[in-house]
Amino acid sequence: MGALLTRLSGKIRAWYQTMSIQLVLSLSFTAVAVAGMLILGVSLSVHFANTADDLMQESSQRVLDQVNWNLDSYLRSIMRISDTLYYRVVKDADPTKASVAQGMELLYEENRDSVVSIAVFDRQGGLVAAAPAATLKGSAFPSQHDWFRMAMEKMENFHFSGPHVQRLFEDPDYRYRWVVSLSRHVQLTRNGVTEPGVLLVDMSFAGIAQVCRDTELTNGGYVYLIDSSGELIYHPRQQMIYAGLDTENNRAAARYSDGTHRERFQGEDRQVTVKTVGYTGWKLVGVVPREAMTTDTRQMLLFGLALILFSAFLLAFLNFRISAHISDPIRRLEQSIKELEAGRENVDIEEGGCYEIRHLSHSIRSMVSTLHHLMEDIIEQERQKRSTELEVLQSQINPHFLYNTLDSVIWMTEAGRYDEAIQMVTSLARLFRIALSKGKRIIPLKDELEHARHYMTIQQIRFKNKFTSQITLDPSAEGLYCLKLTVQPILENAIYHGMAAAEDDGLITVHAAREGDDLVITVTDNGLGMRPEVAAALLDENRPDVRTSGSGIGVRNVHRRIQINFGSQYGLTFFSEPDEGTRVVIRLPALDEAAAAQLQREDTP
Amino acid sequence: MKETRTAMIQRGILAVLGAALLLTLVLPQLPRREKKAAPLPISVLMRESDTTAWSSARLGMEEAAGALGVELRFLTPTTANNGAEQNQLARREAENGAKALVIIPAEPESLGREMAGWGSHCPVVSVESALEGSVLSVTPDNAQVGRAAAEELLADWTGGAVLLLETGGRGSGVSQRLEAARVRLSQAGVPCIQRRADAARLNESLSGLLRETEARWVMTFGPLATAQAAAGKETSGWTQPLYGAGVTMRVATALERGTVTAAVAWSDYAAGYLAVQGAAQAARGQEPAKEAVPFLVVRGDEIYAPENEKLLFPVTY
Repeated sequence: MGALLTRLSGKIRAWYQTMSIQLVLSLSFTAVAVAGMLILGVSLSVHFANTADDLMQESSQRVLDQVNWNLDSYLRSIMRISDTLYYRVVKDADPTKASVAQGMELLYEENRDSVVSIAVFDRQGGLVAAAPAATLKGSAFPSQHDWFRMAMEKMENFHFSGPHVQRLFEDPDYRYRWVVSLSRHVQLTRNGVTEPGVLLVDMSFAGIAQVCRDTELTNGGYVYLIDSSGELIYHPRQQMIYAGLDTENNRAAARYSDGTHRERFQGEDRQVTVKTVGYTGWKLVGVVPREAMTTDTRQMLLFGLALILFSAFLLAFLNFRISAHISDPIRRLEQSIKELEAGRENVDIEEGGCYEIRHLSHSIRSMVSTLHHLMEDIIEQERQKRSTELEVLQSQINPHFLYNTLDSVIWMTEAGRYDEAIQMVTSLARLFRIALSKGKRIIPLKDELEHARHYMTIQQIRFKNKFTSQITLDPSAEGLYCLKLTVQPILENAIYHGMAAAEDDGLITVHAAREGDDLVITVTDNGLGMRPEVAAALLDENRPDVRTSGSGIGVRNVHRRIQINFGSQYGLTFFSEPDEGTRVVIRLPALDEAAAAQLQREDTP
Repeated sequence: MKETRTAMIQRGILAVLGAALLLTLVLPQLPRREKKAAPLPISVLMRESDTTAWSSARLGMEEAAGALGVELRFLTPTTANNGAEQNQLARREAENGAKALVIIPAEPESLGREMAGWGSHCPVVSVESALEGSVLSVTPDNAQVGRAAAEELLADWTGGAVLLLETGGRGSGVSQRLEAARVRLSQAGVPCIQRRADAARLNESLSGLLRETEARWVMTFGPLATAQAAAGKETSGWTQPLYGAGVTMRVATALERGTVTAAVAWSDYAAGYLAVQGAAQAARGQEPAKEAVPFLVVRGDEIYAPENEKLLFPVTY
């Protein structure tokens, strides 16, 4: 059992861990609500069943009280007939006289609905008078009947017999009527002699049935009437019972005390309410089949269950909506985080829901924003670091060049070649002025070309005019700007690699032109050239930086700088064949003055 | 994925709760939706034009009709025990839409043959006599009734012939009772004289038969025959002991007066009730319970015994 519980608890825990917060919330709320309603429903049902039972008992009791009252009134009316017959007709009158017979006929006619016959018998059971006028059957011996004996034995009382067929008088229509006999002891005066006798009133079943017939108890219940021995006086299915087609538990009911009882009769549970009819000893019995009660209770329980289910349905629906409302922001936040994890940029983190979730969303949003800024800072720092590094590398050119130029100036001065020395120093000064350009990164294209021209002037003097140079600017490129110091390293490379073997026939050309949105500067020499793979390797980032004069480091720096500043679609392209010369294409964005100014502003911290 | 699963679980829970709710709402309405069945038309064909002898049976039939939702139509022939007319009536009722017939056959054999030729299937319940082709015969065991009556006579028999009055058609319950009684009496060595007679006219014809046969004992086997024989005895003054079968109010009076010595009695009320009940069950496609009606033999001084009272005298208001 313990192991089973542990396993079950483990499964629930595992399931719980895979469930969404919405499912946990909705299921928990629903389970608690349904459990609460079930408890409430069961307690209400029990309470209802008990109350219904009590109401049923009270209802049966009330109905029986009413029937009892009606029956009592009816029996009293019969007793009044007996009293009237005795005190107004028979007593102190000679019953053999016509006036008595007349009085009896009159009384009978007045009450024929409830009375079958009225008769007076002498002490031997001989018929003294009767109404309606009839003769005693030859087989009838009234003195042998219980009603006669009781009246003679207990003179002060009325006596009600059990139900029986009236068999005293001849009936020309061969009718046999079921009656209840009311008998009493009377004093008869005949021929001046007073003697005891018995006055008999035979009540018809019709009167009794009328009192009981229209009485209905709840749930198909009914009322029947028995005498003290349990003999049926009235039953709604009396003839059926007499014919053996139906049965009743009347003998047992005769033993019940007044009140409500439960009995099981012929496989049926019944609620039986008993009420004794005062002086007669008769009992009114109300029977309500419990099956019918149960049917009603079942209907009510079903209705109650429907209410509970409706409430559960409504609560479940509301729970699902509320839990969705609570958990949706969490779910959306989770989705946003998943997108962030997947590397998507510009993820919109919604700040919705209740306070805690909004706070959490806000924190995550702030964190992501901070992260983005930090990343941008890092990238910018990296870019600047790289740029600085390249600037440093670029500045590495200057000492060699300066040393060589100044050495040439010294040599020319010593040789008395003052004009050339002055020209060289002038170009050098101009070169440096443009190179500095007040610290700007982007300079006018014409300055860049002028810078190249001064550089070539210096180098031509140094290399004793072994080569010549032509620098041209296409009108389409006039007014454009470019990255500073992009042409000079290419020229340096052309001089040291291409012009090494030149004998006054070297030619280096620089041509700048606009191609769409690009500025293309082409540097061409007719020097030694190189194999295409060597030309391609010049820009190889993995190639070690061996610092030699015109080793190509400057060329690679130019390529890196262009790509760092403008993107990978820009940079250098080498076209070279051995003994054919080399052509280097510098591709830059075509920057006008405004674009250059914008870039310059971005550089300003 | 998880969202879909959650939504599916929630929809499942709502669907289950909704279905249960609908079920609990619909279930209590089902009994109320049962349409109140239209009254079941059942025709009752008597075998005698004077039906006073069958008043108790009729009470039972009407009680059953009220309880079982049956509409009864009582039909009597123009003359008593007119088998041909009854056969025609039965065929007409069967063809005119009666859902079942309750018949007290005048001539069971010919009616059985007639029923075999009916085009429509109409369940028939017979009363008093067994009937071939009927779904139920509500009758006491007629042979036992005849034997019981014979035994009662044998108990009193002191010698002389017994006149057995055959008042029923061929194969009827009356004939079966007579035959059983005759066999029993013959076994006991009692001489029997059998005569066919019209039950309704026995009050007039019986004295002549007695003179003709010089019988010292008389037996009748139907309620009307017994009542008419008793009436004849009271008016004509013949003194032969009379034994009968079937107790009507007139027979009860005759028993009380000693005109009828003994009679075999059963509850006509119960027979009538069971007949209509069986017919209604058969019309509704149910199998009616088959059980012989119990009977007893009563003599004049026993009729007011409490249980006999209940059996013999119906409660009327």
